[in-house]
Amino acid sequence: MSSTPVYIICSPRPLVGKTLVARQLSEFLLLKNGTVAAFDINLKEPSLLDYLPGITETADVIDTFGKMQLMDRLIVNDGVAKVIDLGFHAFDEFFRMSEEIGFMKEAARRHVAPIILFVADTDRGSARGYDTLRQQIPARALVTVDNEFVVRGELPEALAHGRVLRLAALPVFLKTYIDRLSFSFTGYLRHEKDSSTELHQWIRRNYTTFRDLELSVMLQRS
Amino acid sequence: MARPAVILVGADKGGVGKTTVSRTLLDYFASRKVPTRAFDTEHPRGTLTRFHPDITDVVDVTSVPDQMKIFDTIESSAAQITLIDIRAGLMLPTLRALRDIGFLDMAKKDQLNFAVFHILGPSIASLDEIAETSKFLVDARYFLVKNFINDTTFFDWDQRTYNSYFNRIKDAVELTIPKLNEMAFEQVEVASVPFLKFVANKGPHDEAANYSFVLRGYVRHWLANVWSEFDRIKLTDLVGAGKGGAGARGGEK
Repeated sequence: MSSTPVYIICSPRPLVGKTLVARQLSEFLLLKNGTVAAFDINLKEPSLLDYLPGITETADVIDTFGKMQLMDRLIVNDGVAKVIDLGFHAFDEFFRMSEEIGFMKEAARRHVAPIILFVADTDRGSARGYDTLRQQIPARALVTVDNEFVVRGELPEALAHGRVLRLAALPVFLKTYIDRLSFSFTGYLRHEKDSSTELHQWIRRNYTTFRDLELSVMLQRS
Repeated sequence: MARPAVILVGADKGGVGKTTVSRTLLDYFASRKVPTRAFDTEHPRGTLTRFHPDITDVVDVTSVPDQMKIFDTIESSAAQITLIDIRAGLMLPTLRALRDIGFLDMAKKDQLNFAVFHILGPSIASLDEIAETSKFLVDARYFLVKNFINDTTFFDWDQRTYNSYFNRIKDAVELTIPKLNEMAFEQVEVASVPFLKFVANKGPHDEAANYSFVLRGYVRHWLANVWSEFDRIKLTDLVGAGKGGAGARGGEK
């Protein structure tokens, strides 16, 4: 039986590129599968909802009702991939709740495949956060995102043991370009005639990485 | 053959979670396949009976016919354990009545096992009742239950006060019931099912239900913590039920 993937993009640190990863992954899944459900759990950081309002809804884990609204949706094997942009402020509470209610176990039972994309930073907070995840998330479901723009080639060794997904840094002027609310990665691939541009190649490389990630999820479950 | 056991669950005040504790006990024994019956003394409507109707009778513990219904049938009942959920404020009068009818003597002579779960409230008046209650319980197991239904601390910030109540009675054992998420508790109330059935996502007649996965998770986790306390005090041994049957452990199924 096929599984429904749930991608949780997270970090206990702000401004490490969580929303950038969530945006790209959401657009990739929308392009490939025709549908995706994205959830934005952010306060003040750049918001997924602002970039992809058509496929994103806000969520929170502040109170029980918010947790129910979110988690009762995530646990459903409906064939629609889910992407969660988990704001840094909600990292501790989300994974504390997840551990307490047995999310990973229940997900396995219901053929839902959570994949935690931990966006790394070089400080101790990041290392502590990763440690917390290693204790409750199976190794095959935990992926470190090495965002070169943040980590600058110095990914801490402790975060590099398991699976690593590398996100190359863009020049600052291109980063500014893609940070615009109106920018679409898929739109750029479709409309940019010159496929040799740096940005075109960067997007395709990331989409290929996501495709491989999705394939690995399917293979694990089969 | 195991001696029959009687468990009294009582409190001097209402609203301290006495019936909640009774429910966790009934689920604990059910999971271990220990035959249990219960008497709900919130006569006439009952409170415990709503959650465990198949094994619970509503009685008036102040009436002699109902006292006979409970205590004259302890040895003849198929149930190994008789749990009595005592109405708030009636624990001391009930213990006096048990003394007067010779029930406490039976416990003294090892003719049955007797345990009292005294559910404490966060007030000095509640704690004052410990000494009074303990006088009746020379030959019974006495459990002081701190039920954290809110953010009370049971005076653990003031060691002198705390010790004067909790460490005064030599053989009394403390039990801690952690706080359950309020919304989870309320959903179980609305569903009117045992905690175990709620965790299993079942309705009152074992039909499939649609309870929130989050709330079921909270109840499962909480019940496991409560049962680990019962395991810690070796409750099944105390009531002569031994290691029980092949039931689920700790609420985690």
